[in-house]
Amino acid sequence: MNLLAFIQRAEAYLGERLPVHKLSYDAMVRKKEVPVHRLSWGYYLGGLALFFFAVQVVTGLMLLFYYQPTVSDAHASVEYITEHVPAGALVRNMHAWASSMMIAVVMVHLLTTFAMKAFARPRELTWVSGAVLLLVTFGLGFTGYLLPWHQIAVNATKIGLQSIEEVGAYLPGALSEWPRLIKETIQGEASVGQATLSRFFALHVVILPLTMVAVLVWHLLSVQLHGMSQGVDEPPKWKEKFFPTFFIKDLSVWGVAFMVLFVVALCLPFESFYAYPLFEPFDPKGSTPDGIKPEWYFYFVYYPLEILPFWVVLLLSLVAGVVLFLTPWIFRETSRRTLRLLAAAAALYLVVMTLFGEQIYRLFKG
Amino acid sequence: MMDAFLFVGLPYLSLLLFVVGCIWRARREKFTLSARSSQFLEDRQLLFGSTPWHIGIGVVLLGHIMAGFLPKVWSSLLTVPGALLVVESVGVACSLLAIVGLSVLLVRRLTSGKVQAVTTPADLVVVGLLLAQVVVGLLSAVHYRYGAAWSTGTVVPYFWSLVKLEPDMTYVSGFPPLFKLHLTLAWVIILLVPFTRLIHLLALPLQYLWRSPILVLWNNARRRREAVVAVARAETRREFLKGAAGVAGAGGLLALGVMEKGVNYFRGPQPDPEVEAALLSKKLQRLQQTAEERELELERQRNEMILVARYSELTENKGKYFIDYAMAPALAFKDKDGLPLLISAKCTHLGCTVGSEVDSQGRILCPCHVSYFDLRTGRPNEGAPAKAPLRHIHWALVDSTGKVVARKAPGKPLEGTVDPATLAQCSVYIVKPRSNAA
Repeated sequence: MNLLAFIQRAEAYLGERLPVHKLSYDAMVRKKEVPVHRLSWGYYLGGLALFFFAVQVVTGLMLLFYYQPTVSDAHASVEYITEHVPAGALVRNMHAWASSMMIAVVMVHLLTTFAMKAFARPRELTWVSGAVLLLVTFGLGFTGYLLPWHQIAVNATKIGLQSIEEVGAYLPGALSEWPRLIKETIQGEASVGQATLSRFFALHVVILPLTMVAVLVWHLLSVQLHGMSQGVDEPPKWKEKFFPTFFIKDLSVWGVAFMVLFVVALCLPFESFYAYPLFEPFDPKGSTPDGIKPEWYFYFVYYPLEILPFWVVLLLSLVAGVVLFLTPWIFRETSRRTLRLLAAAAALYLVVMTLFGEQIYRLFKG
Repeated sequence: MMDAFLFVGLPYLSLLLFVVGCIWRARREKFTLSARSSQFLEDRQLLFGSTPWHIGIGVVLLGHIMAGFLPKVWSSLLTVPGALLVVESVGVACSLLAIVGLSVLLVRRLTSGKVQAVTTPADLVVVGLLLAQVVVGLLSAVHYRYGAAWSTGTVVPYFWSLVKLEPDMTYVSGFPPLFKLHLTLAWVIILLVPFTRLIHLLALPLQYLWRSPILVLWNNARRRREAVVAVARAETRREFLKGAAGVAGAGGLLALGVMEKGVNYFRGPQPDPEVEAALLSKKLQRLQQTAEERELELERQRNEMILVARYSELTENKGKYFIDYAMAPALAFKDKDGLPLLISAKCTHLGCTVGSEVDSQGRILCPCHVSYFDLRTGRPNEGAPAKAPLRHIHWALVDSTGKVVARKAPGKPLEGTVDPATLAQCSVYIVKPRSNAA
């Protein structure tokens, strides 16, 4: 195949995946329609995730006015926000709760789009950009967790980073040193310290959000250009206008979501699920307190890590990662029925591991 | 004497006449029980007069009734921060609305020919009295600020003393004249209710708030056709207004809350000096901690040997934490043979800090994923998440003169000799890895 033909084919491929020629007010607003069927609730999830991201941006910027990213001041400044700044506790709680809600919504979004086969041609790249967004979201969760610099944050981050180093044991020769080098590059120094805090702060506040916005532009643009995926096998009998019908419904869902978020943030401090010693400032000289755990949304990989040999989890997550990114090509021929079953199984696994991970762990480890 | 008439005589007189008069009018003059609407004569000015007047006075009266009949509820409502300000502002705004409406009505009474034809002197008296009453009320609200709060301790007990037939003027006799005028006018207006169009107050037309308007018009074919259109238009407008009012109300409340929280958030806390000092001292303490850590780091880079404990501080079953050359936590124990035993406390599994208590089998525990490490060998127990042993640390014993008497690198035999007699005066140092300095 000569170069010219290759370039032409690449152009044709991209042109079909991102049909910019449809870029018009008519196609994207006036004529866009949303199918109505029993899975249509799935169409709200992407917008809801976007809404929570917007909440994160706003509350995050507000927290930025007071937060100080140094090991000596980080914990004190977070305490200052919660205890002294007017409405500071509310803003911080909203940021913490909305992060959890965003991740939950994003996960359900992934499963429903999978079940609806929304990745089928020509939407392959929309799916891939969504997978990137998922990773960025998890990245935001992981980096944000460290910033308050309390015991559980620093120790959980240590554990998380250490598992990168573990990979080295399974690599041959000189390669086995690489994971440790990668870990130290992320960490910035031999152990989690000021350098790590600065790096995580930069990642959490600038790099990852910017990446998120960039990929979101692609993701949303392709959703708007392709229109809503049909989602079910038989053509739906009924469609509603995206604007204003669905748009107003979308807004009302956001309104309800905001109210729930606001009330929860007002009434339930995010930390109330753990014992206080975990929220004391990180003490590098003392022993690690009991009950160090990552956030609930990492349980689905954390508990398997605790129970199974490391290489099994490593292998499984590699496979899962590859499958996640190659889904549009792996499941090209799969029927929606099968996809729904697979999505249900994945959902079951996630729910069981998140809710009962600890009990399962006890079952295995006594 | 004057006060006694105005605040005891007049009230009872007007209440008596109110009750008797209303009953008499309801029985004798059944068909005059109305607001004497002139809508069919003129409806344009009426709309812009009657509507603001009734909305404004309705809200203001509601405030008076709340304070008068539920003083406890009312004053506890006012303790909510900002509530008093909101109530006062709403009151002033509504009385302004009422004044505007009433003025339009008064002008209409005086200028519209058709309306003039049905206007009685009593109507003019009523409208004049009402206007005076609202203006006086507004003036006293502005001059004697926060009446919503102070009235519950003054006017309300006076009112109830009248109701209980134990009139007590002491609450009101000291009032400024402006406010006395407001009270007096109130009793006069109540007195006039049975004899004027004010009788329509008794209809308590609450459903007016949500039912569609009744159109009063001349009855002929053309007017009837127009009426259908007019009703439909009025209905749409009404629905729109209702929706708009809801959205504006909700939006207003939201904006108020967001502004209140948002502005204060960015303004920051205004701590009193004591709190500020406490905050500052905490900050300083944290800075000192960080400085200490930095010192430790520098010490480890510069020195070939570092003091970690006095020998006498060491015990067999509880370790003493120190920071090793890798800036990681480590533990110092006394071994069974009396020599120091220094071991890294950074778990080889995921880097948690291992606990310092030695269990009955001579092991220390990492709490994160439950690995037991044997103190002597450093090795984790069978099946523990940690696979690699904890590293022992190269130590040296230095006597009180500063001479190294003994040292032991991990995996190597003890160098030097230990005299149990002088041991107690010795200090334990760690030795920089791969260094030969003594």
